[in-house]
Amino acid sequence: MTRSALEGVIVISFGQGAVIPDAGKILGELGANVIKIESSEHLDFVRTLGPKNSVAGFNEGNRNKRSFGVDLRSEKGKELVRRLIKVGDVVAENFRGGVVKSLGFSYQEVRKIKPDIIYVSSQGFGSGGPHENYPCYGPMLSSASGMLSIWKQPEDPFPAGSNSPLPDHMASKHAAIIILAALDYRRRTGKGQFIDMAQTEVAAALMGERYLEYTMNNQVPQPLGNRCAYAAPHNCYPAKGMDSWVSISVFSNEEWRSFSKALGDPAWTRDPKFADVTGRLKNVDELDKKIAEWTATLEPRQIMYLLQGAGVAAGEVQRAPDTMSDPQIAYDKAIVELDHPEVGKRLYPNIPFHMSETPPVPAKLAPFLGQHTEEICRDLLKMSQAEIEKLKAEKVLESA
Amino acid sequence: MPKKQEGALSGYRMLDLTDSRGAYCTKVLADMGADVVKVEPPQGDIGRKIPPFLHGDPHPEKSFYFLYRNANKRGITLNLESDDGKDILKKLAKSADVLVENFGPGYMENLGLGFDVLKGINSNLIMVGVTEFGLSGPYRDYKGSNIVDFALSGVMITSGYGGKVPTLLPGTPAYDSASVCADIQILSALFCRDAIGKGQKIDVSVHEAARHGLYPWSVPIYSFSLVAGASNLPIPEGRLGAMIYPVYPCKDGYVRVIALTPRNWQALLRVLGNPEVLLLPEWENFIYRVANADDLYALMVEFTTKFTQIELWEAGFREGVPISPIYDIPTFVNSADATARKFFIDVDHPIAGKGKYPGPPYKWSESPAEVRRAAPCLGEHNEEIYCGELGFTKDDLIALSYAGVL
Repeated sequence: MTRSALEGVIVISFGQGAVIPDAGKILGELGANVIKIESSEHLDFVRTLGPKNSVAGFNEGNRNKRSFGVDLRSEKGKELVRRLIKVGDVVAENFRGGVVKSLGFSYQEVRKIKPDIIYVSSQGFGSGGPHENYPCYGPMLSSASGMLSIWKQPEDPFPAGSNSPLPDHMASKHAAIIILAALDYRRRTGKGQFIDMAQTEVAAALMGERYLEYTMNNQVPQPLGNRCAYAAPHNCYPAKGMDSWVSISVFSNEEWRSFSKALGDPAWTRDPKFADVTGRLKNVDELDKKIAEWTATLEPRQIMYLLQGAGVAAGEVQRAPDTMSDPQIAYDKAIVELDHPEVGKRLYPNIPFHMSETPPVPAKLAPFLGQHTEEICRDLLKMSQAEIEKLKAEKVLESA
Repeated sequence: MPKKQEGALSGYRMLDLTDSRGAYCTKVLADMGADVVKVEPPQGDIGRKIPPFLHGDPHPEKSFYFLYRNANKRGITLNLESDDGKDILKKLAKSADVLVENFGPGYMENLGLGFDVLKGINSNLIMVGVTEFGLSGPYRDYKGSNIVDFALSGVMITSGYGGKVPTLLPGTPAYDSASVCADIQILSALFCRDAIGKGQKIDVSVHEAARHGLYPWSVPIYSFSLVAGASNLPIPEGRLGAMIYPVYPCKDGYVRVIALTPRNWQALLRVLGNPEVLLLPEWENFIYRVANADDLYALMVEFTTKFTQIELWEAGFREGVPISPIYDIPTFVNSADATARKFFIDVDHPIAGKGKYPGPPYKWSESPAEVRRAAPCLGEHNEEIYCGELGFTKDDLIALSYAGVL
């Protein structure tokens, strides 16, 4: 009989936005019982970015967890959450710094209820510095860490970044990692603990080598754009069609000969100045221009198939519809369709975990606000229906 | 000197057979105290050749990429393709909790070192194979690279200026996504290993994991946008970063502004002293601002340039609109936040010397994550591990080295 990896683990999530919700989703996919604490008064702001229950980001980021609707301003509500924490294993929060303390759920308070709790706080700048209480959204991580300053083409006047709030979802994976490591440490030693993650530092950790250029070589790191100091071609090229692009990289001279052959050995690829990597790097502007003239005549996927068939790394610059028609993604079942009672059948990324003995649990829909309030009261808090009804009437509990 | 204090993963032995593409996976685990033994081919990991280098010297112990991503690991050399090398790997696997490799589909099996063989030696072993495009399927034999895998992640199309070339994120984002997805599975497998009584096999495809690690919202946002009125999030495609999260010049550099809600916008106006030209009600609408970003930029510049980065950052906090400075790397290194949190850690490497390295991005109250040792020199721990643990003599090592095994 298979069991999931995190069977029996209870996670109390005060998450909002991306980082902690996405981490909770992952733990839920691994079989943890993840409870999202929320109320109309303390609503995850992502719920408000569109019509009720119909926000894509919310519905993706909160799958595989249950919603417990409770008024955190009331003493009775706080008491219920304390009782949940008492039976829980993990508390995770990414409120603005200082908020959990004002709610009465700081680590100091929570550990009194549950001494071996694992408590993860994740703010933009972490605690201890002058900006510990500053709110921080995904796009600020790259700005404040130095990542954005080199995330551009060398000739761009200033960086534009991305409309994806990178790298906040990488911060959520780090949050899941530290929760799992702390759970295992507790399993082995009996000790819980407090872990404080700074999201700007996650951005920095993902490109740590660039900081050594400054701390050890005393140079201000410069943007590389799409180029690479030891490979050419290594760039993103315009393909046929509106705003269509393809990335190509060639490292060895053997790959270059394969590239040339795939193009039908035109005269320019036979030019000896492109025959070896030093020549290609020296003449990279001309090389990129020649390649762009060729790529502009074909569609991105055609170029990818042609070059990959010849043993050269190439990839279409995918949009969502390209992902949806990507045969490998289909083969991997990397997209899953879920039928939502209000939004209908929509597509989500499937769980990318492939574990031979503890397969992840099937993808489940994100909850409505308070959807699981009553069942959590019954299952985990052992409350009677009469008690539940009373607290609902007092507006301490919200259920949907 | 290695510090004694234990981390959350102290006591676990992990064999790291990956090259530079998988270095972040085991680095994260080593930071938390795992004993990661990096197994390199006798000529060294290709990651040792990645520029830039200390003082521009292309020495195998001076690559910043290698030094940063292999700190906290020990290092041995081993030729897996030799018969002796295969036997030695099996001996190493006996005492290992985790083995991570990224050679590609079928490589370990062809060497006789597949999971079916190794689990016969150590039933507790958790073995992780990271591939570019999966173990099977139409793209199985395709080649990946940093820029190619990022292109396919669904994120590159959103990165850079609208109308201009999509732009690579610094670092190795697709590989690091696969690395953290591997870490999550490794730690889950360790957590439940006693309960299920055995290790397991974990497969990670960079192609599949990259979009998941970097931005899993892309497909759902698109899918939801097909329902009328279902989502008013900005279009997930195109390159609208400069419009959605605009960058404005100020007195001493640039700032980025995150004004999504009407309240954020009102706060931004207060920060800038309620300039009359921006009070027109249409500017309050986010979608209108995105659609007219160039006009807005032209208007904003006059006001943002009256302030410094810090003034705008702090005023944004007071008034309720997230504004952040665009720091360059030296400014972040020397920032009050990084300093207060001691994020940069002094590391001393026998050849590369002393340097400040970014530390782990988290502080643990009981089991600290730290940089406990510098990246290993090539074969630095051969004697420690082969003689100290596997019972080889120093003379054996000389012979094995000459024979091309170590």
